[in-house]
Amino acid sequence: MSLDLSKATKLRDLMFRCRIPNIRWVATALQSIESKNLQQITIRLYPITPVDSIEEGDYRDLQELDRVLVQFWTSHSLRPRFVYAPEDGEKDTRDHLSRLLPELTRRGLVDVPL
Amino acid sequence: MSRSLPPEIFDLIVDQLHYKPAALKACCLVSRSWIPRTRRHLFAHVEFDPVRHHFASWIRSFPDPSNSPAHHTHSLTIHRFPNGTTADTNVANYFRTFHNVVHLHFKFLYWTNHESPLVPFHGFSHRVRSLRLTHTSFEVFDLICSFPLLEDLEFVEFRPGSGTAEWSAPSTSPKLTGSLDLRSMGGIYLAIRRLLDFPDGLHFAGITASCFDGDFESLADLASRCSGTLEYLNLYCFSPGESPPAEFHDRSKPYRYSWT
Repeated sequence: MSLDLSKATKLRDLMFRCRIPNIRWVATALQSIESKNLQQITIRLYPITPVDSIEEGDYRDLQELDRVLVQFWTSHSLRPRFVYAPEDGEKDTRDHLSRLLPELTRRGLVDVPL
Repeated sequence: MSRSLPPEIFDLIVDQLHYKPAALKACCLVSRSWIPRTRRHLFAHVEFDPVRHHFASWIRSFPDPSNSPAHHTHSLTIHRFPNGTTADTNVANYFRTFHNVVHLHFKFLYWTNHESPLVPFHGFSHRVRSLRLTHTSFEVFDLICSFPLLEDLEFVEFRPGSGTAEWSAPSTSPKLTGSLDLRSMGGIYLAIRRLLDFPDGLHFAGITASCFDGDFESLADLASRCSGTLEYLNLYCFSPGESPPAEFHDRSKPYRYSWT
């Protein structure tokens, strides 16, 4: 699954919605972007399994996404927005996210709507 | 009273009532001179449902098409042509009086015979810029190609019909420079395949879509085909057995390039 956005040079606004375990395509698509016009990136993650029982492969995909999004901020001066929508009754969400998305969380780029 | 008011002031007052149909209807009863301006707003948005005999009612009210307020309509919704029904030719001819329609919405169109009931409606208004197709099957692509100025296209809930077999694309297609909305749609792969066959290409500035992971490559192909014009992209990819969250379908909060 790959989405090549390298030729989308007018791209300004991007929103990707994904759900674990189907998230690898997001980092792949982001890495292909070459647009100089990009103004907004929003990633919205919907959990399908409890966030504290994510499998190893999904964990690696999240780490990669964490790295790619932070890179956008540091090298393109573009502040990405990452929104995590917890399941009803999910506890300790922020703690789990700080483990799964350490850099994004540390830089305050993760929103958890309550 | 209208005689004592300068026409431009009267027009301004009536224009302020554009979202109050009851007030506009009351205005029509005050004086004949009030009718033309109020009709402009009263018939700006028209919805026809044959099951509820809306066509018959309209024709009874305005038997002479040349005097009907159809030319005021810029947003038209047409419901339900049941399976096996072909739109009456006279009705279709009557629809040609709606030649100023800009926003067009067809709802609940399913049929299995090869003759699409929509043929009489092809290109009935050359001003159509946005087309929304809700609960339709695949025979709608000739209809889409019949509106040369079409910019925005929205599909809601496709059902593959007889049109999933062979399709010969028309010689021309609209430029499609606005937004494409493929949210909550079954058979997205087939729909995209048809769109990719459009002879004049795809030039969407925005794409909003949801699809199963199995259809993702088709969606990626579509986005790639629009890469020269694409300005915004809103995608949701999900696994079989899962469905997009309700907020993704909330059309009262369009993401961008809403079609109102």
